[in-house]
Parts: sequence; structure tokens; C-alpha cells
Amino acid sequence: MSSFINLLPVLAFLVLMLGISVYVQKASADDRQKNFAKDYFIGGRTLGGFVLAMTTAATYSSVSTFVGGPGMAWIIGYGWLYMAIVQVVVIFLVLGVFGKKIALIARKIDAVTVIDVLRARYKSNFLANFAAIVIVGFFCATMVAQFVGAAKLFEAVTGYSYLTGLSLFGLIVVFYTTIGGFKGVAITDSFCAIAMILGMCLLFGAMMETGGGFDNIMKHISTNHPDMLEPLSRGKMPMSLYISQWMLVGICTLALPQSVVRGISFKNTQALHRAIVIGTVVIGAMTLVATVIGVLSKGILTGDLASYGGSVDNITPLTIVKSMGPFWAGVTIIGPIAATISTVSSLLLAASSSIIKDVYMNHLASQGKELTNESVRKLSLAATVILGLAVYMIAITPPSVIWIINMFAFGGLQTAFFWVLIFGLFWYKANKNGAIAAMVGGVLVYCGSMAMKIKVLDLHQIVIGIGLSLLFFLIGNSFGETVDDETLEIFFPEKFDK
Amino acid sequence: MKRSEKFRQANREAKATVLATVAVIAFWWVAGFGLADVDVSYLHTPLWVWGGCLGTWIFAILVTLYLTRCVFVDFDLDDEEDTK
Repeated sequence: MSSFINLLPVLAFLVLMLGISVYVQKASADDRQKNFAKDYFIGGRTLGGFVLAMTTAATYSSVSTFVGGPGMAWIIGYGWLYMAIVQVVVIFLVLGVFGKKIALIARKIDAVTVIDVLRARYKSNFLANFAAIVIVGFFCATMVAQFVGAAKLFEAVTGYSYLTGLSLFGLIVVFYTTIGGFKGVAITDSFCAIAMILGMCLLFGAMMETGGGFDNIMKHISTNHPDMLEPLSRGKMPMSLYISQWMLVGICTLALPQSVVRGISFKNTQALHRAIVIGTVVIGAMTLVATVIGVLSKGILTGDLASYGGSVDNITPLTIVKSMGPFWAGVTIIGPIAATISTVSSLLLAASSSIIKDVYMNHLASQGKELTNESVRKLSLAATVILGLAVYMIAITPPSVIWIINMFAFGGLQTAFFWVLIFGLFWYKANKNGAIAAMVGGVLVYCGSMAMKIKVLDLHQIVIGIGLSLLFFLIGNSFGETVDDETLEIFFPEKFDK
Repeated sequence: MKRSEKFRQANREAKATVLATVAVIAFWWVAGFGLADVDVSYLHTPLWVWGGCLGTWIFAILVTLYLTRCVFVDFDLDDEEDTK
């Protein structure tokens, strides 16, 4: 099975990504000469609507959109799709609620990261540093998990070893993120989003041929697996799971810092409006096609799970191998690999910006020191490449603790930032005591309840995390004072209108 | 537009976005669970799948078109001279 022909498409795609980043680096040389951090970490606030939509959607959709999700759909049926489609709200929710406000504030205070905004709002270095630790820790675990998922898929489809795949796209994504910066990430993300949709459409077409058409596959499913055509899937898809997912992959994604930071990056309100529509079209299309493929693969892979290695993660690779020849299989896995690298690139850059901009540069500033533009450049590039290589090396033989952190990461980030961002931007009385209580307390309670498997009404622990974090905010807030008028005027000028 | 007016508008838009999300959730519920017992299929696929999955996606796109055309307003994100 191992032949160069199924490696070629992925290789060509990765070289294209590298080429784009080299080009972006050359094209932004002047801007980076002036203000490196602003261009490198946020793209100089120049993103247009299409690129903003694509990078937000591509960062959000990860390897699990194409592997874990469809695998579950193969077992559950259309109930899983019905649950997954809640993700159509994620793009317009984050851009509609935070987009304009954070854009206005970031321009006023010259913010480059979400933590810049929080620091300016709450005037707390402790909060900012804690947020940076949360971001770096959870992002690194997520990146490792993404790498592992994609490398396993790569191995299963192409026949090349795990390490070959991991090194191929792992090293290239680290390298292109380092040189391209935010603008490079945004543009390569756009190509990744297109590759994801094309790859899935190719697979869908090939499956139709293998399975004898949509109607034929559905006839097979309705005869042999009628449970897959019911929303509750005869108990496999309980109502509590729907509600949990509305929280975890729907509403609470509002506060994911890797999404919110995109609110600082766009050019103008026209770009934001376009991105809201395009992003909703794209995220819906990705979710629909990828998950429908999972359901329909029931007509292609007709055995039981044990005959496919006992893991739902094998469903997507086996469907690809069974429906396509080596070359087209090689083209199709560009999709899931693109989903992986587009998520990793954004997280990597956000993590390195937290280390350099939010922690190190701020620490120096508090001692009255300031870095020259050239040192910022060197440090930022070094932080990105070192962090990226560390993630790559951990992914070679990931220790079990990574899986635990990764399981906590998605909801942990939401719990940490949800109320802190919402109240920070929309409630002028919110103060630093409330924010610290909500972030620290929320993360601890969330991770604790996850570790001890405590559930309320059989709902996912995110409900406990978000609920108690709100309570902590309100309690903490009553012990603090409202921030000074100068700050309030930046964040809430409407209160000062006479 | 004054800076304070921009913020008022941004607050309005944030509220509208939250309402839009509630509308999508309501549509999702009605077009999916609401149609789950209807015994109509197209291409051997029950009606609730078309309504709750494909329908929710299309409804969400229509909602964003309404928001961005009828509720959201364009303004300059940088401070203008007339700010204060």
C-alpha cells in the first residue's frame, strides 16, 4: 500500500502552505520593521471578510470534525448529525457578540492579544498571568492531540509510519507558522478550509459510487439499522447529551480565546459582516458533509466495530481506503490534515504571543524596560519555533497526562474566559475580584468535576463549570471596587455621554 | 458617529446576536424533534433529518443575512476627529 503516489498530494499541499508563508513574510517585511508584534501576532488588523471567515472556521474545525465525529455518526446515525449541526451558531455568535466591541477597544489601547484587553479592563497582572498559563497549557495539550489524531489517520490511509506523517506535516506547520505569523496563518487557514470541503466532497462522491448511490445506502440503513434514523437513536443519544453539546460545542465556544482574538484582526465592519455570513455557510457545510459521510459509511463498512479494530477513529480512514484508489485517497486526506494544521497554527501563535507579549514583555515593562523591535522579532520567532518543536516531540510518544489535559482543555478554556470576557465587555461594574474568582475558581471546579466524574442531571461538566464560575464572579465582584473612570471611558464610553 | 454611539450600536448588535442564537435553537428543536414522529421520508431519509440538520443550516444562514443587512451598521473602527 505504501507508495509515493499517495504521499504526493499531501506533500504538494504542504509545500504550497510553506510557499504562502514565505510570500507573506516577504510582503510584510516593511510592516514588521515598524511594529513587529502588531503585524506578527494580529496581522496588522487588515483581514478581509473572506479570510476572517475562513480562518475562524478552519481554526474551529479540527481533526475530530473529520475523524472522531464521523466515527460516532457511524454508530449513532443521524442523531449525531443533528447534535453536530448546533455548530452553525459558533461563527456568528463570537463575531456578532464580541467582534465590533473588541475591535474598537483593541484599536484604542493598541491591544494585540485577548489578554491585553483583559489586563487593560481589570488592571490585574495576576489575572493576565493566570490566563496566559491557562492558554499555553491547554493549547499545547490540544495541539499534541491534534497531531496524534492526524498522524494516526495518515498512517492508516497512506501506509507510511506514524512518525513519517507526524514529521511531515508537524514540522512543516511549525515552520510555516513561525515565518508567516498571523497573516500567514489566516491565509493558509483559508486554503485549508477549502481543502477540507473539497476533500470531503471527493470522499462523498467516491462513497456514492462504492455504495450504489445515496438512496441505496439509505435503504440499507433504514432496513438494517432503523435506530440510526431516530433523533434519540433508541437511547444511544439521550436528551441530556443534546443539551450538553449545545453548551460545550455551541454557546460556550463564544469565549474561546483563539476565536475571540480574531475580533482584533479584521480590517473594517464590512469585513466583519461578510465573515459572519460566509463563516456560517462554511462551518455548516463542513459539519454537514463530514458527519453525513460518517452516517453513510454504515453502508460501506457493514461489519461491527470489533471487526474495524474496536475504535470509532478507524471508521474514516477505512472508508477512505475502501472507497478510493491510493492517489485519490492521498488527495482526500489533505482535508483532515488541513483541519489539523489550521487548528495547530492558530493555537501555536496564540500560545507564543501569550508567552512573549502577555508575560515576558509585560514583566519587563513593569521594571521600566522596553524591548527593541528587533529583540521582539527574535524572541517571538524563537518562542513560536521552540514551542512548536516541543509539541512535535511530545506527540512522538505522548505521555498519558496529555490526554487528561486535552480532555479538560476545551471546556476549561470556555470556563476560564466565558464570564470574564462577557462581563468585562458588557458590565461596567465587573471588577478584578470577580474576574479572578470566576477564572481561577471556574477552572478548578471544572477540572475537579471532570476528574471525579461529577455530573448534575447527567449533563456535561461544562454546565457545572460555567454555572459555578458565574456564581464565583458575582460573589467576588461584591468584594471589589469598580475600576477607575479612565478605564471605564475606554470600555464603556456610552456611560459618560451627557 | 461618536465613539459612544458606536458602543451603543455594538451593544445592540450583541443583543441581536444572542436573540438570533435563541431563534436558531428554537428552529432546530421544532424542525428536528418536532418532526421526529412525522412519517414522511425523502430518499429513505426521514423528514426530521432534512429539517433539523439541513434546515437548521439554511435557517442559520438566513438569520446571518438578516442580522448583517438589517441590524448591523457599518462605521469606522478607528477614532474620528469628532469623538470628543
